[in-house]
Amino acid sequence: MVGNPNSGKTTLFNALTGLRQKVGNYPGVTVEKKIGTTWSQHGKPIQVIDLPGAYSLAARSPDEAVLRDVLFGRREDTPQPDRIICVVDAANLERNLYLVHQILDLGRPVIIALNMMDMAAAAGMKVDAAELEGELGVPVIPCEAVHGKGLVGLRLAMSRVDLPLARHSWDVPAPVAPAVAELQAALTDHDGRPPLVARAEALLLLTDLDSVRVAGSRPLSHRTHEILAHWRQRWVTTGADWSATLIRSRHDAIGALCRGVVTRTREQGPSRSDRIDAVLCHSVWGWAVFGVIMAALFFSIFSLAEGPMDFIGRQVAALADWVQGAMAPGDLRLLLTKGVIGGVGTVVVFLPQILILFFFVGLLESTGYMARAAFIMDRPMSKVGLNGRSFIPLLGSYACAIPGIMATRTIENARDRLVTILVAPLMSCSARLPVYLLMIATLLPGDTVPAARKAGIMLLMYVLGTAGAFGFAWLFKRTLFKGAPPHMIMELPPYQPPRPWEILRHMAERAWLFLKNAGTIILAISIVLWFLTTYPKLPDPTATPTEQIAHSFAGQAGHALEPVIRPLGFDWRIGIGLITSFAAREVFVSSMGVIFGVETPEDNTTPLRDALRSAHWPGGAPLFTPLVCLTLMVYYVFAMQCMSTVAVVKRETNSWRWPLFQIFYMTGTAWLVCFILYQAGRALGY
Amino acid sequence: MPSSSLNARVQLCQLPAGATGRVCQLTGDESFCQRVREMGFGEAALVTKISGTTTSLCLVKGTRIALNHRAAMNILVEPIPAVRAGRTE
Ligand SMILES: Nc1nc2c(ncn2[C@@H]2O[C@H](COP(=O)(O)OP(=O)(O)O)[C@@H](O)[C@H]2O)c(=O)[nH]1
Repeated sequence: MVGNPNSGKTTLFNALTGLRQKVGNYPGVTVEKKIGTTWSQHGKPIQVIDLPGAYSLAARSPDEAVLRDVLFGRREDTPQPDRIICVVDAANLERNLYLVHQILDLGRPVIIALNMMDMAAAAGMKVDAAELEGELGVPVIPCEAVHGKGLVGLRLAMSRVDLPLARHSWDVPAPVAPAVAELQAALTDHDGRPPLVARAEALLLLTDLDSVRVAGSRPLSHRTHEILAHWRQRWVTTGADWSATLIRSRHDAIGALCRGVVTRTREQGPSRSDRIDAVLCHSVWGWAVFGVIMAALFFSIFSLAEGPMDFIGRQVAALADWVQGAMAPGDLRLLLTKGVIGGVGTVVVFLPQILILFFFVGLLESTGYMARAAFIMDRPMSKVGLNGRSFIPLLGSYACAIPGIMATRTIENARDRLVTILVAPLMSCSARLPVYLLMIATLLPGDTVPAARKAGIMLLMYVLGTAGAFGFAWLFKRTLFKGAPPHMIMELPPYQPPRPWEILRHMAERAWLFLKNAGTIILAISIVLWFLTTYPKLPDPTATPTEQIAHSFAGQAGHALEPVIRPLGFDWRIGIGLITSFAAREVFVSSMGVIFGVETPEDNTTPLRDALRSAHWPGGAPLFTPLVCLTLMVYYVFAMQCMSTVAVVKRETNSWRWPLFQIFYMTGTAWLVCFILYQAGRALGY
Repeated sequence: MPSSSLNARVQLCQLPAGATGRVCQLTGDESFCQRVREMGFGEAALVTKISGTTTSLCLVKGTRIALNHRAAMNILVEPIPAVRAGRTE
């Protein structure tokens, strides 16, 4: 299944395959691979692949390259499809047929799904499917994917054994024809391409001047290169632009085709979408509406999620209690209650925030506002080299980096997406709040301190994180991901009423992905962390938890870590906190509770605060000086202290390279900034 | 194509809102030109500007397309007098 972005491809795919879908990744690239199963008219299963959307086979992004490679039969993991369903937006027929036209060149069985017939009718167009079918010689099925119309016809066409091949009449412009013929011959003879693929590839090589990009994983032979270079040389000397000629002649052929197929029943005035856009993309009102929507999003994530999050937290605790009561004391019970339930529980509480964020993302996507939001934010975001679509993932990361990173899938440009993923965890997430709160309480004890000062410090941390995220985005765009085109051209789909079912589906899909992660990799890391804090055990069974954790591997690691973190003013006990809070940042607070032997009730940090304030270095100097508290907060702003984020980044980027890089750069920055802060503070006498 | 020199060419970003122009030249690098042409924004296409000076919103062949300043600067259009501009062809 192929088509332009916004042609309704995904909707049609979902309608055809229902819930029988598998979402994965193409090996080696971060492109989502969706495979589903549908049934032929005779009840035989048909495997359907939803290929990435594209405007042309001349691929620019990794997504588009996957599309081209699958259609050319270049990918080992995905065989060349038997049939190609081209999903076409009837309301934008001319532009959509460009890709179809290129695909017809491949000479493979094609079915055209003429989607969005309702939108075309609403825009005052009559699109004649039979005429199009007659002209092209391939089945053309009128559809309305959202209303489930046309599915029967589509299945029927898919079930046909004798699909007619296109009666495709497009003459390559005469001046280019010899070049196409010669290149095609070379590609067949020297590069082993099948004849029709060779022709399509020859056309691409002449359209897209970057031959390395066109050849992708199958580099061209020396001979073909020579021929190509030879022709290019000729054109440069004659001053002709064959790329433009090829594209134009295709458009001319398509234009002629459309004249017979599309009749306008009435003159087109400004559409409903235009009238809405007049407000929503307005230079003043647009910002106002955008601001209100984002405020609503931010508010819901934080306040509406609170109740359900508490509820989940209590359920997790109740479950742990129940296991505690139902099992005999022993290591297994500890593993289950503290390791499994405790570890996964700290992450699962974020589920409500994830659902809310994806409710908004789904709502904005399905109404068509998302593209406008990207449009509005594009200018400010482009200052640091990001694009407008990075905004919502980054905003979502204030709640939790996991949904934020998962939301980066709406960013089409792979580099922008990767940069957004890399910087998203710098936005201060809600798991950092307990750490900030504890540190601020220790820093400014007593009830006489004006709340504004506490809030000011808190705000400072948020600003610091945000500035860090934008600063690093700027840096990465200038170093690692240099040379991304600064042009943005984006289609704005027409507005649609929201479709609750689509939004629910979207939320369920993301929630499931998240839970799957929690159930596998996060579970594994939780168990490891639990093991490290529990073993080896002290022989004395009356040992306090404080002594026990000091004796454990984590405690030993804390000691081992001390030389590294000492320049930041941290001792081995803080070191243990840093290690355990890799499970989730807020675990730092409970670890401090264990280490300093204070039972910490959730909502009252006073005893712990007092314990921290009276903690000392062996020499007698206080440990948690105001400077250390501040340094520790700054450490948490920057450091990659979250295994779940690591797991999600691994999933989303399909490799360990990026999460490891992220740990390295974030924690490195944290150390460096803290080092400077602490040492400068000391030098100034704090 | 660009037959009449009556109308001066302007960059798409300078085309006033509501005006229609005919694309007459694409500047900028090859890959930009190719992409723009493939989206139906090629030479001879009619563009109606909906709004914007820094980020432009246009209507091309019935599709709303947003372009940033850099992109809109690289598209030269020839404004068409405000007599109800014809259809796409
Ligand atoms: N009115 C109408 N809307 C549709 C139809 N098919 C899809 N849509 C909507 O068009 C938008 C884009 O569809 P989507 O499947 O995400 O497009 P994709 O980018 O090609 O995968 C969604 O909001 C769909 O609800 C249709 O036949 N009629």
